Amino acid sequence: MSLLEVDGLCKRYPSFLLSDVSFRVEPGRIMGLIGKNGAGKSTTLKALLHMVRPDSGSIRMFGLDFSDYELSCKQELGVVLGGIDFYRRKKLSQITRAVRLFYPQWDENAYREYLRLFDLDERKCPDQLSAGMRVKYMLALALSHHARLLVLDEPTSGMDPVSRDDLLNLFQALVKDGQRAILFSTHITSDLDKCADDVTYLKDGTVLCSAEKTRFRAAFSHLRESGDPDLLPLEEIMVRTERRDDHDCPAV
Amino acid sequence: MTALLFKDLRLTAHPALFFFLFFGVLLCVPGYPYGMVFFFGCLGLFFTTMNGRENGDVFFTATLPVRKGDVVRGRCALFVLVQLSQLLLSLPFAFLRPLWLPEGNVAGIEANAAYYGFGLLSFGLFNLIFLPAFYRTAYQAGRAFVKAMIPVALLIFIMEALSHFPDLAWLDSIRPSDQLRQLPFLAAGAMFYALATFLGCRIARHRFEQVDL
Repeated sequence: MSLLEVDGLCKRYPSFLLSDVSFRVEPGRIMGLIGKNGAGKSTTLKALLHMVRPDSGSIRMFGLDFSDYELSCKQELGVVLGGIDFYRRKKLSQITRAVRLFYPQWDENAYREYLRLFDLDERKCPDQLSAGMRVKYMLALALSHHARLLVLDEPTSGMDPVSRDDLLNLFQALVKDGQRAILFSTHITSDLDKCADDVTYLKDGTVLCSAEKTRFRAAFSHLRESGDPDLLPLEEIMVRTERRDDHDCPAV
Repeated sequence: MTALLFKDLRLTAHPALFFFLFFGVLLCVPGYPYGMVFFFGCLGLFFTTMNGRENGDVFFTATLPVRKGDVVRGRCALFVLVQLSQLLLSLPFAFLRPLWLPEGNVAGIEANAAYYGFGLLSFGLFNLIFLPAFYRTAYQAGRAFVKAMIPVALLIFIMEALSHFPDLAWLDSIRPSDQLRQLPFLAAGAMFYALATFLGCRIARHRFEQVDL
């Protein structure tokens, strides 16, 4: 069973159209959602959480229709919205005390363990943490209520290469047992080269391609030039696609 | 709902909100327009709304296992809790002040049953206008506050002015017989408060459902 199935998601803004976005996230997998700024990555993720009202389309999470079972779905969902700082002057312990009331299955021992693992000091405020540590704190919250699906919006943006590498290793460790899955948006394609199993490419509000990473790269072989390797790196795929005038959808 | 209320009190509430809760003590100040107590009540809630906005509270709450409309319900519960607590906390001072200041309040209305009726009316009017105006965007707190405070300030002004009309001296009295006459004011205020808050929350919830965060 897919942990997340998005089918035909559409959202119209006066100057932007998210059109017919469909993809699936399977357990034990990391899916990267790529696209340049303004391609619709954050809108897609927000629509998954009902922060944005989709005009049409369906979202199934853990096999359930998200609209009908929003509360139970959210119990098993962990969300990290990068770039938005929450309660910057509150101690982590205060934030945790408020958050855990929402989760009957909150596991305090697991929370303490993740604090130790991520080297987080509960007496600190988000303002006193680096971008990487803030993401780790949000992950600690999500994992302490045993979230099976982690939705992360640009979690690595603003991080130094070492912190990014640490975080990507952590992502891989989290899905290793095959119970969880991660969907994360980024425009840093090297993150996906390192840790993604599947890639969904959004361009101008439409899914250009959504596939397992090797198949994804093979689907863009028409972009190869003389001297290029058999499979182009994701960055080259993105740069060449964005610069081309014709954007024929590959057959995946 | 309890979890949302707790979250708002722990994470979103502005420190001034708790400070203003005890502004009922102003009822012991001689020659003071007691309508200001209601103004500070509204101001604390405005500061809290601003504080929530600056701390990404709406986004954070939307990631929790609640429905989008519950974000508004939680905030409405906070408004009601704060407003009723402020009125309740002011009651001891209303009872004490005749002992402390037997000459009465020359600046405006006495702290009597009619005063509390007007208080509920003011808070109800504030909720009816501020909540729907703010949740139209979940962002423009300042504009919503100005929109709500103009009629509330006018109502407070009318309350203070009425006490200076000789024909309405009974409205400005703390004599038990006059306070009995004022009870319909209190009851009307309570009814308006309940209805306006219910309506304000309902419209705010409906509007917030349409907002794309």
